[in-house]
Amino acid sequence: MTAGTTIQKTDAELGLARQFDETRANLPGNDWVREQREEAIRTFARLGLPHRRVEAWKYTDLRSMLKDAKTPADADLNSVTDAELYQALGADLHGLGAHHIVFVDGVYDEENSFIIGDEAGLVHMTSLAETLNNPPEWFKSNFNKVNPRQDDHVGTLNTAFMRDGAVIEIVKDARLKRPVHLIFISSSKSAEAITERHFIHVAQGASATILESYVHLRAPDTQRNSVTELKLETGAKVNHIKFQHEGAKASHLSNWMVSIGENANYRGFQLTIGAKVSRNTINVNFHGSHSQADISGVALLWDEQHSDTTMDIVHGVPNTLSRELFKTVLDDRGRAGFQGKLVVKPDAQKTDAKQMAHGMLLSETAEFDAKPELEIYADDVVCGHGATSGQLDEDMMFYMRQRGMSMDTVQTLLILAFVGEAFELIEDEDIRAAFTKMAEAWLGGKSDE
Amino acid sequence: MLKIENLHATVGGSQILRGISLEIPNGEVHAIMGPNGSGKSTLSYVLSGRDGYEVTQGTATLNGINLLDLEVDERAAAGVFLAFQYPHEIPGVATFIFLRHALNSVRKARGDEELSTPDFMRLVKGKAAELGVKDEILKRPLNVGFSGGEKKRMEILQMAILEPSLCILDETDSGLDIDALKTVSQGVNALRSPDRSMLVITHYQRLLDYIVPDKVHVLSKGKIRHSGGKELALELEKSGYAEFVDEDAA
Repeated sequence: MTAGTTIQKTDAELGLARQFDETRANLPGNDWVREQREEAIRTFARLGLPHRRVEAWKYTDLRSMLKDAKTPADADLNSVTDAELYQALGADLHGLGAHHIVFVDGVYDEENSFIIGDEAGLVHMTSLAETLNNPPEWFKSNFNKVNPRQDDHVGTLNTAFMRDGAVIEIVKDARLKRPVHLIFISSSKSAEAITERHFIHVAQGASATILESYVHLRAPDTQRNSVTELKLETGAKVNHIKFQHEGAKASHLSNWMVSIGENANYRGFQLTIGAKVSRNTINVNFHGSHSQADISGVALLWDEQHSDTTMDIVHGVPNTLSRELFKTVLDDRGRAGFQGKLVVKPDAQKTDAKQMAHGMLLSETAEFDAKPELEIYADDVVCGHGATSGQLDEDMMFYMRQRGMSMDTVQTLLILAFVGEAFELIEDEDIRAAFTKMAEAWLGGKSDE
Repeated sequence: MLKIENLHATVGGSQILRGISLEIPNGEVHAIMGPNGSGKSTLSYVLSGRDGYEVTQGTATLNGINLLDLEVDERAAAGVFLAFQYPHEIPGVATFIFLRHALNSVRKARGDEELSTPDFMRLVKGKAAELGVKDEILKRPLNVGFSGGEKKRMEILQMAILEPSLCILDETDSGLDIDALKTVSQGVNALRSPDRSMLVITHYQRLLDYIVPDKVHVLSKGKIRHSGGKELALELEKSGYAEFVDEDAA
């Protein structure tokens, strides 16, 4: 941009600046936190909302999509009952036997949260609001540093507005049998902006399954901005899973920032079903050798849903492995974008990185865009990528219908087979089964139209 | 009984079938032979209802039911079974799941109760054993990585499970070695029945040594040019199609 050019601020950008002025005094945090917020909002004032000329936002022009800035949710807890949680999550995810950490409209709900006694000493949870009011030194030295990106438009908004979230420590050598289930439920009848920030530290040799579920009861048009910073120390193993089923008019901006230590094993998975607009940013940095990341996901989109998965995997040390497999099914005017950036730094010899993204289009008006980006500065590496976009195979459909199966049955079987390849990468059998059932229900919903 | 009268069909605007008339009474096996491009496979697709195969004239009924009015799956439920020349691979769908959906779809359409999983497994394992299909293969995605022989045996297993009243075997012998050919033929012969008609489409006489037909028809340029008993196949093997095809010139 040449000097002297000014860009007209959008209503949403002006609204965000105004809201920061109005709410800053009520946001949690000591002076150190306030400084972080002020700096973030200054950066945001410079950057504005991202638009399609910003490469990382090529497929999601947030500047034009975000028409207005909703009022930030207040700090009072809107209580929900366990029956309402059950209703929003469904029987399978509610019944995982997991530790529950519940947030209602972005505020920690102590009443509904529990760490089950048999693993109580292994997981420590503090709310972000509490942590910000009195941040310990370790938090200050790690916050916003796990895997930061320069000029992160949405990340700066998150830092400016963050109200609450989960600060979790999985203690050294703990091997959790039960998933840690972070449940984010929007219950308000009015449209609200929710800004959450989570910091999860998995200590040396610990292993855990962390499930983030974003679900809604009533609120159809929440604007959510959620950042998870996750740090895996040496030898740690984490299954990090997200289920996103926000309301039909909601926007869901999510950013995972993951740092992987030596000999650590990170398995990420994201199931996207809800929200009008969803953006899943996944940034992974390898900080230790002999470590591995397997990241996969399924998105099921219809109507005018828009979903964007943008990854940035940085191999910065030798002998690391990354795999990505994403499957997207699109009907109606659904649109999805996938961007997979792989960076292999000069020292990162023996990197083994592969990435696949597949789109299945069920209608003529659906669209799937995929863009791999490889930046390789080391010579002894194996890197690969692939992307496909297609429809159900006519020959296969004829073959199956010739065996008596109806068109609905054939489509269901073929689509489940398509997404099943990604679901199989989920290690937790109960979560995998729950997600498969949701995909079946989604397909069932389609055929009821 | 399959009854075809004066059947004309086009594919992509070109006339491929030019007036086929054929009756296969229940209990009989008829073979259709003919040179490449004569319309053999087109006939099998027209009868089973594949998209893009347009009937422009004529009728086809199975036990009095007008097949041409029905969708592909409705024809299957009415009793049409096509054993494919090249059975499709269905990645991600385990064979037994495919078979269960097929059988229960057909049973439902025929007004029968769906089978419970244990009853279904018993049925499939029993039929599979008769055809020398191993249990292990039933867990694999259908036809994915199967050998040519395994794929054809799987077609016959599906036929045995779905109990159709019309079996169309399209070039079932292609890609089979002699041992596989024998096993597959035995499977087909075991399914010969007084209330079932079979249409065997083949390029070569070899298959008809094992599946002995009641009648043989020569198809050329979209029309049956000649019909005879099983000995006609042997004649064709010696003399080739030329003699029968030439009649067309008239």
